[in-house]
Amino acid sequence: MTVLAPPRLQAPPVTRPSRRHRGGWVPYAFVAPAMVVLVAFAVLPILVAGVVSTTDMDISGLADPSSVSFVGLENYRRLVADPQFWNALRTTGAFTVVGVPVIVVASLAVALLLHRSGGRLASTLRAFYFLPAITAIVAVALVWGYLYNSQFGLLNYLLSLVGLGPVPWLSDPTWARFSVGLVAVWRATGLNIIIFLAALQGIPHEYDEAAQLDGATELQRTRRITVPLLRFAIFFVTVTTVISWLQFFDEPYVLTQGGPNDATTSISLYIYEQGFRYNQFGFASAGSLVLFVIIAVVTVVQLRLRGSDDH
Amino acid sequence: MRRLLGTTTAALSSAALVLTMAACTGGDTAEAVEDGGSATLKVWVMGDAGPAFTDLTAAFTEDTGIKLQVDAIPWENVNDKLTTAVASGDGPDVVQIGLSLLPTFADAGVLADLTDVLAEHPALAPSNFPDAVAPENLSTDGVALSVPWVSDTRVLFYRSDILAEAGHDAAPTTWDDMRSVAKELAQRGEGQFGYYIPLWDNTLPVQYTWQAGGDVVDADGAVDFRSPEFAAAADHWLGFFEDGSAPTATDWDQTQGFVSGATPMVVSGPYLAKAIRDAAPELDGSWSVTTLPADQTGTSLFAGSNLGIWKTSKHPDEAAQLLDFLAQPDNQIAWYDAVGELPTSSAALTELAGRGDEQLSVYVDQLDDARTVPMVPGWDLVANEMASALTAIATTGADKQSTLDAFYAKADEIQSNY
Repeated sequence: MTVLAPPRLQAPPVTRPSRRHRGGWVPYAFVAPAMVVLVAFAVLPILVAGVVSTTDMDISGLADPSSVSFVGLENYRRLVADPQFWNALRTTGAFTVVGVPVIVVASLAVALLLHRSGGRLASTLRAFYFLPAITAIVAVALVWGYLYNSQFGLLNYLLSLVGLGPVPWLSDPTWARFSVGLVAVWRATGLNIIIFLAALQGIPHEYDEAAQLDGATELQRTRRITVPLLRFAIFFVTVTTVISWLQFFDEPYVLTQGGPNDATTSISLYIYEQGFRYNQFGFASAGSLVLFVIIAVVTVVQLRLRGSDDH
Repeated sequence: MRRLLGTTTAALSSAALVLTMAACTGGDTAEAVEDGGSATLKVWVMGDAGPAFTDLTAAFTEDTGIKLQVDAIPWENVNDKLTTAVASGDGPDVVQIGLSLLPTFADAGVLADLTDVLAEHPALAPSNFPDAVAPENLSTDGVALSVPWVSDTRVLFYRSDILAEAGHDAAPTTWDDMRSVAKELAQRGEGQFGYYIPLWDNTLPVQYTWQAGGDVVDADGAVDFRSPEFAAAADHWLGFFEDGSAPTATDWDQTQGFVSGATPMVVSGPYLAKAIRDAAPELDGSWSVTTLPADQTGTSLFAGSNLGIWKTSKHPDEAAQLLDFLAQPDNQIAWYDAVGELPTSSAALTELAGRGDEQLSVYVDQLDDARTVPMVPGWDLVANEMASALTAIATTGADKQSTLDAFYAKADEIQSNY
């Protein structure tokens, strides 16, 4: 008994660490390429932006680095004092608050309907809904610009046919926000519908059939079985949609250039203009860092909420 | 043994590499010394004029043996391209610079000082060009960093048929005329206006300030909008919106509005003439151009492009030869015939004015009374703030005085940041 005990106690400690040790570097080797790319193209630029944001870097600073000087938090002070920055923040916030529920609900609804119907029509429609997601934004903007145009636009022409007056789609600040947001929703739903459809196909039929046998109605089955089982997909779509609204850029950039009167200037567009139009790289870096922090905080909060939801 | 072999191979291959590199450099130097004329100049031109530019300079290459590698850069990418070139230090030899971008280029310190070049090449002497683009008017210190190339100006486009219908045989010539005619034409009915003011145009209010006898830059070269002349310009500009003479739609199409007659008057450049001819050849004869309606003066905008030599160019002498070639009146006229961009050489302008083309004469006349935008760093940002402030007052009913005061403060702040 006492003779046998030591090897039994000793054996596991000998083999286990060695196996763990031998396999130790393998996962890192697999992760390394992704990590290198992440560090080179995400972490490093953020650090560089952090450094640049404390300087007065502009175009002459690019040509002659010795002319760049450290200005501390001056760029952040200017940012906070700039009413246009706050305007851009408010605009982005408004787009996010309205846009996220619209995109999530719209793509979920379309996905549920497509999943339910099936058949050739459904697959044609699926391609139709996905089309905006794969169309080049410049082409999209050009066509929507023509549709919206106040002089010769199709939309106002159609309105005039039913006796309605012209709508200033892109000229009025409120309408412009709506028009630009509509294009963004139209573009974003395509991919999200596909994500929801994939998730829907992953739900076993048995649940639905069982509920059907129990006499649950269509609405009850959707609400009590399908949607709860889609929880992870909904969470994923929500997080990515929130981030994409916070980085809202393409649509206002090509449709309105942020106008009229900065009504559609999102925070990304504001940073872009300051950086690449007016060459104030230090100032723009400060703005982009603020945006980065906002996105990080919002995403962490969402992850936390999701975590508590699971328990 | 194996390790030894590896080391030897490595040593040999690096030696070979070094030798090859040495051979390459050696070859280059020898070549350059042998015939300096065979240099290849890298030239950046803006817009889509690349092929035409290659055609124009074929004679230059033939005469001098200097080859050109022409890159056409779309206008909207100019700033990106410039920033990249500055950051990487890898620029062209000769670069076309839009006048509004000149302060940015100068600020970046990428342009070579051309004082000596101007002295060596009589064709490039400032006296051959309009005063508006003389070196002392293009920079605060008067150092020549570029030479004039093509010009562009703003004139009044008007639909003579629509004006005649309303009983006006001639286009308005004064500010007051302009206001009353525009107002009258706007009363033709729903959706009809008298005059189109592009809300994005950040130069028109500046031209109005000049016309009122003022300037937007003070004696020290600092931007200054707190003048009675700018106030008068703003009032004139806003007046067209107050009485409904001008459309407030930000997406108004200038060409379409002119062709349909909804906005029968507009201040624009020669490019609009081309757009109208392309869009509505049948309108030929029912529209015309004239010099700007005047207040104290009828001063217009002198736009266009200059040419500069990149500071780090390895072939500054050859580049100067190219500038000389392009400054020749004959070549500038050939360029006008090829792409329709007006020359800057005074001799070329005079010759074009004598061709009997009425519109062309108007442009040349107007260029005589035209100025460039202020050559101060950050001007673009200030000018856009100005356009935004005026647009806000005109289209959203923002309070005039408080909006303008906010703009003045903003302009001061921008100045202090540059």
